[in-house]
Amino acid sequence: MKKNTFYLFIGCIALALLAIFWYSIEVHLPIIIIIAFIIGIILIYLVRRKVTDFIEDERSAKITQMAGMRTFQIFWIVFCAFSIGAVMEILHIPAFPRSFPPERPPEIIPPRLMGYIQLGLLCLMIFLYVGFRIYYARKYGEWETDEE
Amino acid sequence: MPENMENGRPMKNNIKVQRAMRDLTQEDLALAIGVTRQTILAIEKGKYIPSLDLAFKIAHYFGVTVEEIFSYDDTIQTIAMKDHNKTE
Repeated sequence: MKKNTFYLFIGCIALALLAIFWYSIEVHLPIIIIIAFIIGIILIYLVRRKVTDFIEDERSAKITQMAGMRTFQIFWIVFCAFSIGAVMEILHIPAFPRSFPPERPPEIIPPRLMGYIQLGLLCLMIFLYVGFRIYYARKYGEWETDEE
Repeated sequence: MPENMENGRPMKNNIKVQRAMRDLTQEDLALAIGVTRQTILAIEKGKYIPSLDLAFKIAHYFGVTVEEIFSYDDTIQTIAMKDHNKTE
C-alpha cells in the first residue's frame, strides 16, 4: 500500500469515528464509541504495517520518542494533580459537624465535570505532543533546506 | 547543549565532501543506507548526531573508517574555550 492511500484510510477512519461518536451521544451509550475507537486504532496499526513506501529511520524515531517522553513528563504531573484533587473529594468528611443529623459529605466530582476535566486533559496532551513534535522536528533538522 | 555536541565537544563530519568525491546526491546516499534524505541533510548540517550503527553504515558505504568521516571539532572547541577564558 502507498503512503497516500494510508493517509486516505486514516481520514476515512477518523470520519467514521466522528459519526459513531455523535451516534453514541444520540443514543447515550458511551460503550459504542469506546469499542469503535479501540477497533479504529487497531485497524490503523494493522494497515500501517502494509505501507511499503514509509521510511522511518532513527532520526524520526528519536523525534517521536523525545516528543512522547516530554509530553508524558508534563502530562503525568497535571494528571496526578487533578487525580489527587479528586481523591481528596472522595475522602473528605466534614470535621465536627454542628448540625444534627450531620451534613452529608460533599459529592464526588459530578460525571459531567469529570468529562470536562478529561476533555481538557486530552486536549492538553494532544497540544503538548504536537508542540513538542514540531520543536524536536525543527531541532533535528526536519525542515532544513539545502542547495540540492 | 547544541545537538552537534557530544559530551560537550562539538562534532563535525565530511559526508558532503565524501559525497561530492563520488558524485552522489543526498537521496542516493539515503536510499543506499535506508534512511530519509532529511536525515542525511540533518547529519551534514550537524543538526543530528547519528547512532553508532548508522555511522558505521555510512563509513562502510564510503569504504572508509568512521574516524575518517566523524571527528570532534577541536578547533571550534579550542576557540570557544579561549573566548570563555578571556571573559573570565
